[in-house]
Amino acid sequence: MTLFHFFNCAILTFGPHAVYYSATPLSEYDTLGTSVKAAVVYLATALVKLVCLATFLQVSETEVFDPYQEALKAMIGFIDVAGLYFALAQLTHRNISQNHKFQAVGLGWAFADSVLHRLAPLWVGARGLEFTWDYVLQGLEANANLVFTISLAALGSLMWLRKNKPKTLIPIIYTCAVIIATMPSITSYLRRVMGWHFPKVVGFELMTSLVMAFISCQLFILCQRPSL
Amino acid sequence: MAEEKNSKQRHHRSMLLDSMYPVVALMLVLVACVELCDAATVVDVYRLIQYDISGVPFGSRFSSLNHHAASLSFQHGADLSRSVLILPLRELDIAFVQDYISQKQSLGGLLILLPQTFRPGYIGGGETQDGLRVLLAQLEKLLLHSNIPFPVYFAFENEETDAMLADVKKNDALGQQATATTGGYKLVISVSEPRKIASPTITNIQGWLPGSRADGDSNQLPTIAVVASYDTFGAAPALSVGSDSNGSGVVALLEVARLFSTLYSNPKTRGRYNLLFALTSGGPYNYEGTQKWLKSLDQRMRESIDYAICLNSVGSWDNELLVHVSKPPENAYIKQIFEGFSNVAEDLGFQVSLKHKKINISNSRVAWEHEQFSRLRVTAATVSELLTPPELLESAGSLSDTRQHVNEDSIIKGVKLVAESLARHIYGHQGKDIQIFADNSSLAVNRFYVKSWLDSLSQTPRVAPFLSKNEPLIMALKKELEDYTAEVSIQQESLDGIFTFYDSTKASLNIYQVASVTFDLLLLLVLGSYLIMLFSFLVITTRGLDDLISIFRRPPSRKMKIA
Repeated sequence: MTLFHFFNCAILTFGPHAVYYSATPLSEYDTLGTSVKAAVVYLATALVKLVCLATFLQVSETEVFDPYQEALKAMIGFIDVAGLYFALAQLTHRNISQNHKFQAVGLGWAFADSVLHRLAPLWVGARGLEFTWDYVLQGLEANANLVFTISLAALGSLMWLRKNKPKTLIPIIYTCAVIIATMPSITSYLRRVMGWHFPKVVGFELMTSLVMAFISCQLFILCQRPSL
Repeated sequence: MAEEKNSKQRHHRSMLLDSMYPVVALMLVLVACVELCDAATVVDVYRLIQYDISGVPFGSRFSSLNHHAASLSFQHGADLSRSVLILPLRELDIAFVQDYISQKQSLGGLLILLPQTFRPGYIGGGETQDGLRVLLAQLEKLLLHSNIPFPVYFAFENEETDAMLADVKKNDALGQQATATTGGYKLVISVSEPRKIASPTITNIQGWLPGSRADGDSNQLPTIAVVASYDTFGAAPALSVGSDSNGSGVVALLEVARLFSTLYSNPKTRGRYNLLFALTSGGPYNYEGTQKWLKSLDQRMRESIDYAICLNSVGSWDNELLVHVSKPPENAYIKQIFEGFSNVAEDLGFQVSLKHKKINISNSRVAWEHEQFSRLRVTAATVSELLTPPELLESAGSLSDTRQHVNEDSIIKGVKLVAESLARHIYGHQGKDIQIFADNSSLAVNRFYVKSWLDSLSQTPRVAPFLSKNEPLIMALKKELEDYTAEVSIQQESLDGIFTFYDSTKASLNIYQVASVTFDLLLLLVLGSYLIMLFSFLVITTRGLDDLISIFRRPPSRKMKIA
């Protein structure tokens, strides 16, 4: 019976990635290689982040929000951004349009993130007899993460791959990118200091992800006009 | 050259694959084995005893449990054969349980929740109402003498069980009884089926304190025996601590032994009587241990016993203590013993009464411990607070027999009674107004000793078939007697006869909150529609509406073209 629940949560967590790939023109242009490369880069980034966290962070006994530690965690979070830059800019991809490149990289990145962070708890936890809402919420969080990553990849491609941007939009692009990159710190701040429960945090993440996606979509369209 | 390279590459690849196989296999095994038991709540539960008398089964015959929880608010006529009924003691209706058992209605299991005050070792206020104790005693009697074809467990109330019960009651009142399709709570106890205990042992501990022989006197000194049985029997063997029956008797015996060992340690004050202290087992089973112990004694030793005092439940009386005998009261020895007791009692300010019960030799039931002595022609009496002898397997350590209802003062008065009358008899001071074990003297009864042994015994379940040969309790009692007597010996016999016992007395209950199948199906439906909507949305926004429609419509133009 509970294998059923595991199946449900699995399709909630990993389904959207597959759907995104098959629904958009990504599948027509066969960009799977790009996504796989992005996933590998994510793995390497995660390893580097782990090493840095282990070296520089002190484990506190209580769940106290220490601003210094959180600032350190946010800085280490920027290694993520560096990894994304590497995946977008430095790797050689087949000749695919920029439009699709960031989508493929974002998709691969988000899929690797979901698998690494959510598959093991799902397998171990969702198969037990006890029912909790945790795994459904975790799946929703994975969806929000997918949207965040694709927006970040879009903004990243705007920042590093496009040379001629309208001057007024540049600061907006950078602020949005910073907001998305520091999302983990913001959620942990909400959870610890404000005492928000998991459902509330997930709801907030979903809302922000939609807002951010809309903003980055608009920015992308605006930046695309001059080159037309 | 290219071919060599190719074959080398292939060789490398196959080697790589070969080395991957054990890793992959290990991963699969690991993944399959991760079956964590992650219940939200785990509660200690204690099973109803399961035993046979001459092959007739009694008690709860099953131990493992895997059913949904139900409460008393279920709709009439509902089928409970796949549910566990949760009954708090406060809301128990004996008639209902009796009906259920006697009509042999099928039930998945029974979980009885007891208030925390009945827990052994419970320190805290809150006097249990007498009504609850009486109800519990009635329930125990009913359960012990019935053959119950489903598992019965006792547990103590705590916050988690209270919350679960409230939830279950709410659901039952709404008519949604918990089954596989409507969710609710699932109670799981996974233990193996109970097995017979192969040869249960009973252990008797005796301590011998020799008296002083006058010079030139070659006759055997007379002996006085003080006996108490230390084991218990109750509805839940893991909770059967028997503070009054017979923890109080054991404590009284130990204190008397301590007082006399102090007296006898000095050769000048050693009496002309040997003292024999015996802690016997097998009490609830017609005092089988006492009988075996007596039979194992040397014939001469047995004949040298002047009289024996048996202690049984001396922990909760106020003004009157009873002396039960089987020889007629006109008997000279009985008269002497009773006079000794009543003189001391008068001095101490309470009353003793004599009660005579004849032994029925054709009846195998042994009502008091002294009857085993009498059957072997040894004068004996039982000092007890009980008016009538307890029935077989009753008043031997039930669930309601907890520390709170035992009074150390009663035990101390009992100790003084026995010790003074023994001492006056030994030293020949009958009828004289002397207090040998006076308060504030070096021979005073030690209240702290009594209290600490009573506390410790009230947290130790002592059902004989479940005690191993080297049980810490037995070792502790042996060591204590070794401190006070000269010679200690242990006799271990097997409890044969008509009783058979089964193991599995304690388990862990896992309470899971489960969702129903309909919920899972609903969730699947919602997720399916969400994914389909996401798919359509993405196709529309990136490729256009026409593409979406074209995915679903088979191109009819091909047929037209062929035509």
